[in-house]
Amino acid sequence: MSNAFDFPGGIYPPERKQRSNQSALIETPLPRRVTLPLQQHSGQPAKPCVAQGNAVKVGSVIAKREGMVSSALHASISGTVSEVSTTQISIEGDGQDEWLRLPPLVWQNVEPHALLERLNESGIVGLGGAGFPTHIKARVVEQHTIHTLVINAAECEPYITADDLTLRHYANEVLEGAQIIAKLCGAQHIVIGIEDNKPEAIDALKQALTNSQPVPVELAVIATRYPSGGERQLIKKLLDLNVPSGGLPADVGVLCHNPGTLLAILHAVRDGQPLVSRVVTLTGEAITQPGNRWVRLGTSVRELLEQAGLNTPELHQVIQGGPMMGTPLLTLDTPVTKLTNCLIAATLEELPPPPAESPCIRCGECESVCPVALLPQQLHWYARAQDDAKLERYHLFDCIECGACSYVCPSHIPLVVDYREAKSRLRLQRIETAKAEHAKHRFEFRQARLAREEAEKQARKQARQAQQRRPSNTAATNSEKVDLRGLRIAHAAAKASVKKAEKTLARVAQEDPKQSLDDLEMQLATAQENLKAAELQLAQAREQQSNEESP
Amino acid sequence: MSMMHASGVKDAMTATAVPPTASLMRWVIAATLPGIATMSYFFGLGVISNVLLAAAFGIALEAAVLRLRKRPIRVTLNDSSALLTGVLLGTSLPPASPWWLVGVGMIAAIVVAKQLYGGLGHNPFNPAMVGYALLLVSFPTYMTLWAPPQEMLPNDLWAQITGTLPTAQLDSLSGATPLDAFKHKGDAVLASEFWAANPLPNGTLTAWRWVALAWLVGGVVLLAKRIISWHIPIAMLGSLVLLDTLFYLSDPSHFASPLFHLLTGATLFGAFFIATDPVSAATSQRGKLIYGAGIGALVIIIRTFGGYPDAVAFAVLLMNLCVPLLDIYSVPRPTGQQKASPGKPGEQP
Repeated sequence: MSNAFDFPGGIYPPERKQRSNQSALIETPLPRRVTLPLQQHSGQPAKPCVAQGNAVKVGSVIAKREGMVSSALHASISGTVSEVSTTQISIEGDGQDEWLRLPPLVWQNVEPHALLERLNESGIVGLGGAGFPTHIKARVVEQHTIHTLVINAAECEPYITADDLTLRHYANEVLEGAQIIAKLCGAQHIVIGIEDNKPEAIDALKQALTNSQPVPVELAVIATRYPSGGERQLIKKLLDLNVPSGGLPADVGVLCHNPGTLLAILHAVRDGQPLVSRVVTLTGEAITQPGNRWVRLGTSVRELLEQAGLNTPELHQVIQGGPMMGTPLLTLDTPVTKLTNCLIAATLEELPPPPAESPCIRCGECESVCPVALLPQQLHWYARAQDDAKLERYHLFDCIECGACSYVCPSHIPLVVDYREAKSRLRLQRIETAKAEHAKHRFEFRQARLAREEAEKQARKQARQAQQRRPSNTAATNSEKVDLRGLRIAHAAAKASVKKAEKTLARVAQEDPKQSLDDLEMQLATAQENLKAAELQLAQAREQQSNEESP
Repeated sequence: MSMMHASGVKDAMTATAVPPTASLMRWVIAATLPGIATMSYFFGLGVISNVLLAAAFGIALEAAVLRLRKRPIRVTLNDSSALLTGVLLGTSLPPASPWWLVGVGMIAAIVVAKQLYGGLGHNPFNPAMVGYALLLVSFPTYMTLWAPPQEMLPNDLWAQITGTLPTAQLDSLSGATPLDAFKHKGDAVLASEFWAANPLPNGTLTAWRWVALAWLVGGVVLLAKRIISWHIPIAMLGSLVLLDTLFYLSDPSHFASPLFHLLTGATLFGAFFIATDPVSAATSQRGKLIYGAGIGALVIIIRTFGGYPDAVAFAVLLMNLCVPLLDIYSVPRPTGQQKASPGKPGEQP
């Protein structure tokens, strides 16, 4: 199938997927001990709800969701909690592998809120690498109409084959998971985007698609090109929709899910099995038995690689994630988390360090491969010069950090490293500015509250006076000329600013659920106080006027 | 952080990737070989003496300035960019130019145009063309001494290079280039009459055409190896042909044909080897198209209406001047953004 739409740029790095996609997906032996970090997802870390010495089964909740964007955490082996710290929980296994499952649900028959609650209590997060809590993502329908669910099976980064193998083994289950999400978000259409370098997964999907699907599913096989698996790039390629800068796919009516996540969703709903294990690609020249494994969360990376035949003298570095966007591990004594999709045990020869950086010769190769059509080279100048205004103007924050520019740079400039540094510096500045703004808004709120209280006092006083004066019928108030018109304008303006504050708050909450909203709430409260004061003053003035006219 | 980089990948896919900067430079040098060989065949070993002299000056001057600037010498020389500048200026000069002429040109190129601005990657002007333009303005007598096609080893080659040739004999060396002759044919002479009079020494036009084709071969190699992008050469040649076709069709008796402009002078050399210098060219793809088109148009305008027979050097330098502006106004629209250009007038610092 060919597609007329396309994203700009892109590169063709060596795929090196054969190393890990030749053997079947198998389970790793049960680890004796697991370490589960409290932060395995984007948002707030989970809050422990077990103590040292507690007995747990597989699937027992050990940490609860904290705040809106967060996710629950479950024991991945049965045994005893051996340590609870501020960052992680360790469990010593008993080797029994006893499970604690939630009651199975028939997704066709249950209410959406029950499904949402199930996703929430099962600790499901996006397994493609970002780890965004799935129940929050599913709630996007509260603000947006979703027409299409995209299954992102492009898996464009070299080495990684976790989605490939997941689809080969569980095509039916992934599609059923997609139907659950389609029901939740009301999508009328499901598109699977998959690169043409996974023929076996494509065959498995075709086979699975012969079964009837409640929501129609389209299989879109796309040409292999990095980074077609980027959410925005894939949506552009499949649907020719541009996700706006700073926005979400939901802004154009699309929801994107990874096959692994959809499988986890099905397991959570159909089998009541929380997220306690995931598929991890083990690959690289420094292990002798590469392949994909079902791994319990919290298993040590060292243990995992040693089981796969780690050749320690040959090992140069272990990369978590892909070679383009992943991060090198500083130590092997680190656990597999919900975000670990791939571990590359690379030899020095396989992924050599880049040669020394030389000056940029402005060749423009980076521009021709940028999938967002940025000017990486200009951004590089401005990042090094810390020219923040220019960085913003050249849309630094649209950079998806795919690394295509660094890959092709003939001068070996670590461009993405520069961009990340610049981004975090700018983010820090924004936070500082926001703090100052927040202080200002708090002050304004106090002023508004005082003004409202003053107006109320005035109103009470006037009411008292009016009661006393009415019988005597004096015209003492005449001395003050009432500016009714001015007050009416002030009242209208206050009303408008309340509306505006409400609108801003709603919009921001929709666009970026991660952002803290208390500052905007404060502004809204300020506007409401102002409105109350204006209403009181206006009512007071009207009364005064009618008093003057009536006698 | 990407752990993969094109030059560190040993798989077959690297054939399509861009080689590192130093080998980019060496590829360009290698691609000049057909042109240099053909020029030497027609115009003698003086071409090679130019190139060798200029390259030697280039390396020596770069090393000297790096030493003064307290910068690493060997690593920087290893990028071969000074060598390339020498090769490009050497081929631009009339065959067997005296050593001091080459030296002055290279001082202007390497010391002034390149290192004083901060070295590789920071020079706003094409170094070789700065050197060439300086020589053309300062030493017009020597710069127009382009001997007609001759033996591989001219009699007084050594005397020419050492600059000991008596001034009286200089004139005998001078033979007009085709562009020169056509420019100075005078308004009264029609183009057809000019060509009928056989105005050039035997074989001159053929020699220039073969040289131009040899540069084209080198250029195609560079394009095929993805050392240069197609934008600048195609835009430059396209605008040159288009503009000259308009002139030529309006009055064929006075204007030279597009083919003449393409195959004489430094047109093809300039399109593939000079205008494509990435450092001093525009950066975005749209910018490169405008940049190349500007050079092509300026070449025709200066050749036709200006004071110089050939104009590649001036055209390139003038467009170098426009690059900062082009870079601001040719920014592509990023995916997901509503507006294209970050360059709003009045907001530039």
